[in-house]
Amino acid sequence: MQRLANLSAARTDAGPTAIEVAGLSHVYDGREGKVPALEDIAMTVGAGRFVVIVGPSGCGKTSLLMMLAGLRRPSEGAILCNGRPIPSPDPERVGVVFQEASLFPWLSAQDNVEFPLALRHAPRAERRRRATDMLDLVGLQGFGGRYPHELSGGMKQRVAIARGLVQDPPVLLMDEPFAALDEQTRMTMGHELLRIWSQTLKTVVFITHSLTEAVYLADEVLVMSARPGRIIDRIAIALPRPRTYDMMATDTFGRLRDRIWQQIRTAD
Amino acid sequence: MRRPRPVTVRRLLIVAVLVLWEAVPQTGLIPELLLPSLSSTLRALIADWDKYGEALLVTLYEVSLAMLVACGAGILVGALVGGLKPLRDLLLPVFSSLYAVPIVILYPIFTAWLGIGSEAKIAFAGVYGFFPVMLSTAAGIRTIDPQLLLAARAMGATVPQQIGRVVIPASIPTVLTGLRLGGALTIIGVVVSEMLTSTAGIGYLVTRYRTILDSAHVFAAVFMILVLSILFDTFARYIERRTMVWQTAGRRERTDTADRRLTTAPAPV
Amino acid sequence: MNRLTILAVRLALLGAFLAAWEMLPRHGVLDARMLPPLGDVLRMLVDVLGRPRVQEAIGVSAGEFAVAFLIAIPLGAAIGILIAENDYLGEIFKPMLFYVFSVPKSIFLPMFILVFGIGFQQKVAYAAFSTVFIVIMSATAAVESVKADHLLVARSYGATRAQIIGRVYLPSMMPVLLEALRLSMIFNFTGVLIAEMYASRTGIGQLIANWGENFQMPQLFAGVVFLATVAIVFNESIRWLEAQCSAWRT
Repeated sequence: MQRLANLSAARTDAGPTAIEVAGLSHVYDGREGKVPALEDIAMTVGAGRFVVIVGPSGCGKTSLLMMLAGLRRPSEGAILCNGRPIPSPDPERVGVVFQEASLFPWLSAQDNVEFPLALRHAPRAERRRRATDMLDLVGLQGFGGRYPHELSGGMKQRVAIARGLVQDPPVLLMDEPFAALDEQTRMTMGHELLRIWSQTLKTVVFITHSLTEAVYLADEVLVMSARPGRIIDRIAIALPRPRTYDMMATDTFGRLRDRIWQQIRTAD
Repeated sequence: MRRPRPVTVRRLLIVAVLVLWEAVPQTGLIPELLLPSLSSTLRALIADWDKYGEALLVTLYEVSLAMLVACGAGILVGALVGGLKPLRDLLLPVFSSLYAVPIVILYPIFTAWLGIGSEAKIAFAGVYGFFPVMLSTAAGIRTIDPQLLLAARAMGATVPQQIGRVVIPASIPTVLTGLRLGGALTIIGVVVSEMLTSTAGIGYLVTRYRTILDSAHVFAAVFMILVLSILFDTFARYIERRTMVWQTAGRRERTDTADRRLTTAPAPV
Repeated sequence: MNRLTILAVRLALLGAFLAAWEMLPRHGVLDARMLPPLGDVLRMLVDVLGRPRVQEAIGVSAGEFAVAFLIAIPLGAAIGILIAENDYLGEIFKPMLFYVFSVPKSIFLPMFILVFGIGFQQKVAYAAFSTVFIVIMSATAAVESVKADHLLVARSYGATRAQIIGRVYLPSMMPVLLEALRLSMIFNFTGVLIAEMYASRTGIGQLIANWGENFQMPQLFAGVVFLATVAIVFNESIRWLEAQCSAWRT
């Protein structure tokens, strides 16, 4: 575990690229004509990195994530995922975890995790095995038979993460996954996510409103401006890994958080 | 003094009603013509069981065909109206205006067209039950949490997979509510039409015994209809409850209130 | 689609429906004896509405409707509020009401005939009976629609009981009350018509049933068009009022 964590900290921008976005702009048709939502976004995410995007409400963070997932097409620009464009959702290349768990309430946790495999008609035994492995990974051993309404908010998000990872995609996109959780659960889940990340060596793009969460999780924080969304700052978080709760009390942590806050304030 | 539990009071009340039903006519406070006692009602039912059984079969036959019509057409049209936004904008408000029209005035037209046999009753009860099924199906499909569909798309679900694995399971609870309301209405529709113009069925027995002032037999027939509709309601609610656990979970919090009121609005019969 | 297009398409559909009703029987595509052309039906409607016997029947029905309404509304409202305000009574009666609600009321028509005969009283009694349950349900819903936090806020600012009723209860309940009014009118209307169609010597429902039995299709359709129009006009006017009242209630 320690070794893995060190490994992920050692990964640098020089390594292979997981996501590459260039010249991306998006305009959508609103009630009063065309609304520019995203403007000239360029970003590069190295493989295995943990990148957090923050920005004021309505700045197009979620739109950007949808485009990375192949759920929406930008008006202009290119997105490359491991060197190839992603014109439509492909859960073998990109897993997505949404804000509300968006688990199917009529399926058990196990069946929810199996869902993407079932869509691909994977053999039953393989589905079982992989879903069980994933539930183990997110710390839900023995909860496979529970239905979403029988799970707490944090547990639901664990299932959602398991579901996002079940096809072993190199990239995991997360849209404010812990926003609906209470503060304590949120901290625990952040910590758990880092553990899962260091065990699986995924590339993570994570959207949040919480600056503390951003600094705590990220290798790099991208700050977006208000609409039309642009990336106005990139802040490398040079805190050592594995991260610990004590770090939140350090000066470095506070300075980083302040810097992001200043950027967002001017951006708004 | 502690008040007795509500359930106990409720049970006692039901027992009291049954006891009074037996006792009051016995003592002659109310003549048996107006209120035949529970025992004479049951005696009438048992004595002429063959007639009642035969009538029940006719009614059940009509009810099942009418339910088939109402559910089939209701689910089909409801799925179209709920799934296609232009149709929904166009038609839903029209349906809620039409809700005000008492459908019973159409029955004379049905008998004029189809005669006074089973066909007119099935058609009439089918129309009666159609609306709640259609409206519930439309609402059920319309109010699916868009996040669920988004998640399915993100996992690469094709359109048929989205329909089969998300839209249908997510709308089942609402559709079931519609089937319960619609089913109850087809029972009512069949019975009412049998009472109005008919030559067979339990509704017909009600009317025939009324015209010859045989109160005990009227009550026996009414009693059977009551049991039939309560049995159906209990059964339907049981099925509904079994799927209920995810009803609230799979739904957007804010659904159009007007729409919801419309789908759960009871029928005036 | 914007609102104008929707309206236009709706009008076009209505137009097409009415045109088909006129043309298809007129040109022999459908049997005109079974479905008289719209023009004939409307002419018959004017003719029928001019007949004293029909006018009298409409008057009787309207009277039954009004009296039943005046009985059912206060009675149902009183019971409904009692059940909603008193938790104990509520727990006893609410589950029972659900069952009573799912039971067809029309099967009790024979009882009303046994007790009241087949005159005015019986129609009023049955219509009031078939309406009172929806009023009870609606009144309960109306009281329960008042949000507890609003009451708490009002109380914490020292509102008197009268102020709470006037400033919290009534405004909160207004949209639900209008909805209740609308539903009970529909129920009441249907109640009167069923009672008249079932057994009666007069009233518009009896006329319709009679025309149907005697195969007088133009008269029958004229009656149906008349009643449907009345019902829709009533319903839409209350819905319009509702929309005015519930603008704040998003």
